[in-house]
Amino acid sequence: MTAVAERQGYRGAWTQALRSPVSRLVVKRLLLAIPIMLGVTILSFWVVSLIPGNAAQALLGPEATPDQIHTMELQLGLDKPAYERYLDWLGHAVRGDLGTSPVSGQPVTPQLIDGLAVTSELLGLALIGALVLAVPVALGAAHRPGGLFDRLSIFVSMIGLSVANYVLALVLVLVFSVKLAMLPAIGFVPLSESVSGNLKSLILPAIAIGFPLFSIYTRFLRGDLVDQQQSQDYVVTAQAKGVDPWRVLVRHTLRNSSFGLIAVVGLNLGVLIGVTVIIEQIFALPGLGRLLLQAVSARDMVVIQACVVVFAVVTVLGNLAADLLQTVLDPRIRYGDR
Amino acid sequence: MRTKFQLMAALLAVVLGVAGLAACSQQGASSGGASPASAGPPQRGGHVTVLKDSSFDGSWPTGLDPATNATGGANIAQMAAIYGGLFQLTANPDGSGAKVEPYQAESYQYLDGGKTLKIKIRKGITFTDGTPLNAEAVRFNIQRDMDSPCSCRPLWLLAKNGIATEGDDTVVLRFKIPTASAVNNFPISNVNWVASPTALKQMGENKFRLTPVGAGPFKVVSDKLNSELVLQRNPSYFKQGLPYLDQLTFKAIGGDQAAYQALLAGQADAFEGMTTTPLLDQATKNSKLTVTSQPPTSPYVIQLNTKIAPFNDEKVRQAVYFATDFDAIAKGLFKGKYPVSQSFTAPGGLFYHQTVPGYRTYNLAEAKRLVQEVGGITVKLGTLGDYVARQVNIALQTQWRQAGINVTIEDYQLNTLVQQFNGGKWQAMLQTAGAWDPAAGVGVAFRFRSNSPFTGVKDTHLDGMLDQAAAELDSAKRDTLYTEAGKYISDKAYAPFGLAFAPANLAVKGVYGPGLTTKIPPMVVNPGILWDQVWRSGK
Amino acid sequence: MAIAEATPSVVAGAPLEPPARTWLRRLGIIVPAALIALVVLACFLGPLVLPIPEPTGGNILEAYLPAFSPGHILGTDPNGNDILSRILYGGRNSLIVAVGVTVVGQTIGGTFGALSAYFGGAADTLIMRVFDVFIAFPALVLIIAVAQSLGPSVTTAILALSFFGIPAVARVSRAATLSLREQPFMTAAKLCGTPWWRVLLRHIAPNIAPQLITFAMLGMGLIIVLEGALSFLGLGIPPPAPSWGNMIAEGQASLSATPMLVIWPSLALFITVLSFNLLGESLRSLWSAR
Repeated sequence: MTAVAERQGYRGAWTQALRSPVSRLVVKRLLLAIPIMLGVTILSFWVVSLIPGNAAQALLGPEATPDQIHTMELQLGLDKPAYERYLDWLGHAVRGDLGTSPVSGQPVTPQLIDGLAVTSELLGLALIGALVLAVPVALGAAHRPGGLFDRLSIFVSMIGLSVANYVLALVLVLVFSVKLAMLPAIGFVPLSESVSGNLKSLILPAIAIGFPLFSIYTRFLRGDLVDQQQSQDYVVTAQAKGVDPWRVLVRHTLRNSSFGLIAVVGLNLGVLIGVTVIIEQIFALPGLGRLLLQAVSARDMVVIQACVVVFAVVTVLGNLAADLLQTVLDPRIRYGDR
Repeated sequence: MRTKFQLMAALLAVVLGVAGLAACSQQGASSGGASPASAGPPQRGGHVTVLKDSSFDGSWPTGLDPATNATGGANIAQMAAIYGGLFQLTANPDGSGAKVEPYQAESYQYLDGGKTLKIKIRKGITFTDGTPLNAEAVRFNIQRDMDSPCSCRPLWLLAKNGIATEGDDTVVLRFKIPTASAVNNFPISNVNWVASPTALKQMGENKFRLTPVGAGPFKVVSDKLNSELVLQRNPSYFKQGLPYLDQLTFKAIGGDQAAYQALLAGQADAFEGMTTTPLLDQATKNSKLTVTSQPPTSPYVIQLNTKIAPFNDEKVRQAVYFATDFDAIAKGLFKGKYPVSQSFTAPGGLFYHQTVPGYRTYNLAEAKRLVQEVGGITVKLGTLGDYVARQVNIALQTQWRQAGINVTIEDYQLNTLVQQFNGGKWQAMLQTAGAWDPAAGVGVAFRFRSNSPFTGVKDTHLDGMLDQAAAELDSAKRDTLYTEAGKYISDKAYAPFGLAFAPANLAVKGVYGPGLTTKIPPMVVNPGILWDQVWRSGK
Repeated sequence: MAIAEATPSVVAGAPLEPPARTWLRRLGIIVPAALIALVVLACFLGPLVLPIPEPTGGNILEAYLPAFSPGHILGTDPNGNDILSRILYGGRNSLIVAVGVTVVGQTIGGTFGALSAYFGGAADTLIMRVFDVFIAFPALVLIIAVAQSLGPSVTTAILALSFFGIPAVARVSRAATLSLREQPFMTAAKLCGTPWWRVLLRHIAPNIAPQLITFAMLGMGLIIVLEGALSFLGLGIPPPAPSWGNMIAEGQASLSATPMLVIWPSLALFITVLSFNLLGESLRSLWSAR
């Protein structure tokens, strides 16, 4: 085989792969994510410039004179027009350099990674915990709609939907830390230090985030399962054939309903990140939320911008991943109109 | 009011600190051990974790290099543990007899009627990188601090080439005007902390901010900005047998409630600066904890902007004096824990007198009469928004309204507060004024001298009184001068004073130390704990 | 409101159901609606009718009174203010914010979503991409910026929280409108050359109203919760003016010593949010059963 043929072969494979609906969707979505990310970074530049004060004040201390502040602003390049600063930032960001904080003099990326590690562990625990509990509860509820277990699950998830997570966090602290002294009220123990300590330090915040999630997932999944059982032919057929209803529920109905659930999980990621900021604050966890709040109070534009980008990437990727998973798992989904 | 309100205060002034009873090791040891009588002699070894409020002293966003740490006033504890300090404030276990003493310095001397200060440095002190802490190192540091754009340096008027060395062990500071408070200024400003010039050069400034090298009782193991600072015993520390602890960790935490819970859960051993009254009550009743309330030095003041309406009218100012009932606030909000001051001094500080003759105390009828006479008053009352200051402001709003004054209250963040002062349009601000030494830090001049960016008063007569007091070397004469200044402020109704409030330190049983379980007056906000003498039993 | 007059024609013709289920369904609407009415009445009329003190300006010497103290059924806060009174007046603020955000969100988001679907093509793409940006943008940062530049107040809270609401409502409204696009009456309207605003008001609005109202009920609860979250960051309604959120956030400062300062407003918040959620859910199942 000649090199040319080989190359053509590759190209053929590529074109073919690109023609497949799945990869077309992937490419389309990825391309779509680019203007969204650009929009988000521009918006954040503009939004942060609305906040009064800037990093010069944080560097100089409160008794700095306006002259000193002005000099420092020149040094930091804050006098340049916003679009110039933005392009400058963008140029570095696309090369993976999120900059050096003018306030601490430290590069942002390591701080970001440290914070992200804590936040993603917390979110991961909350998400997985919520899903692991929601699926069996929804199955149990959908097995006999209107039954006692179903009613109970509706009751519990209604509470979960209605309780503010900061209130839940405070109640958990009051009961498990203050009254029972079972779990730490605050702080974070890295996994490298102690596995059990790590889990203990995250369990209350993970519940505060996870319980409302569990409620959303349970309600959604239960609703979808019940709908399918009542309307889908294959379920009726299977039931008529005398297949064990549990088996139908788990093997078939659940499989189909899981697509919708994945979409719900993905779409929720963006909201979740906002929630963690407050929960991290209550439990004094050194995550991204705390990094962001500290950066806002020091007017540390570089760190704020980096946090916003990470949040936006997670949100966009979450939506994307949900979309893609649905496509891969569910060949029925057509994307004609979207 | 720890938090931002104090941050401001502290930023400027820095507290002092540190540590160690210089008063010499013999006295030091007995004073440390004397804390709770039952504690027995100090023991070597162990690890102590100290919590700091993340909105105040638990934040060090600009790092721990003395020349650039813009929150150095708040971070006294961290700085003292790493650098030790040329001077420190010490006191008897009950908080009496407080004085600034040489520490890494050996002695000092004022010459030329206070225009020259000679500081002799102790021989044989080395930084943890092995290089010597000598006069040249101190000169290098002070020069660097004074040249830094960071406003964390003291507001000295130095003469040209005013920082020099004499021989290997003496540093000479020359001022343009007599500066009798210079030594008292040390413990609350960045010039107190001597960083290793060699390490600074080797690492470069950005790295040094994160892992600074000093000659204090501890050296840096790891430093996560605004969250955790792990320190290890410095084996070459210049005080024989000290520090007692092997390891000292500072951790940031989100407020009094969280800190209290962490102590009870055994997650930490001490917390500096608790202010929330109901929690203090609860902590005091808890047998696991030692609660040490510090002697207050810095009273609340309601600054009035006398340059613009309505407070350019003396009658309006008098009305506010008569309408303000700090006794009720002290009783209701603070459960009578703190005394009310009538001037810029408080029981824990220098030159304190309980009352000022002729001070206008609460008199609702008189306040109402004055409000009517001037045809009604409308006021905006601000403060740096932290929990306690906000509660006090709300209480003031209620009291003033009863006198017929129309009050809106406003919370500021540090940034926006500074803008208010720069803009000059503010009307009234709840702040703290005064310090252990009124001439140091957020002292009286900071709130009252015409040239301060944070004053509401422009009165050359008062300026003269304050300058004279700050330049006076004889402390009896200074006392008289400050008493007169306090009376003058009261007579002119420039700013009503309130309760003097000092935070408490919490420690779990078995952890002891001067400033932690004994009393040391706070230079501005938190007392300087003498970290090298903190110890724990049984571990 | 144009929506209201047209709604009955849309709802009419619900399928026949067994009486027990209908009854249950009605209960599912009546009970939460009654609870909401009760909360609204208590907050807006209660202070006028009941002999309770003002929510601010309390006597500082009566600070920290426990529940069931004479004259203060739920006790007092650190400033000597009556907690019951603060909960009622605070409820006003929380409800005003929730209604304000809902109105702003439904009007702007609903209009843009419907127009986006109605016009389709480039306009649709542009509008939805802009909302995508808002959805991907951490709303918290936006809220901090808005609140800090305008200073915290009821208006600021409404403005800041609207950023949450508008894109979400737009999506719902767009999806609902899309499903109408191929309906004969829409085609007819287009053929007759009816101006777009007329189509929007006369044809689209009444038909997507059920979805939007359901979403609004569910959203009300969420907004009340978020208003409280703002207070946690010091960006909500500034004390001494009460709101449930700032009462909880302030009370948290001494949670272990004075837990009731947190528990009372939390209960009020929970019951209200639960009622809105129950009502929203019931409406949803009512309309989806059609």
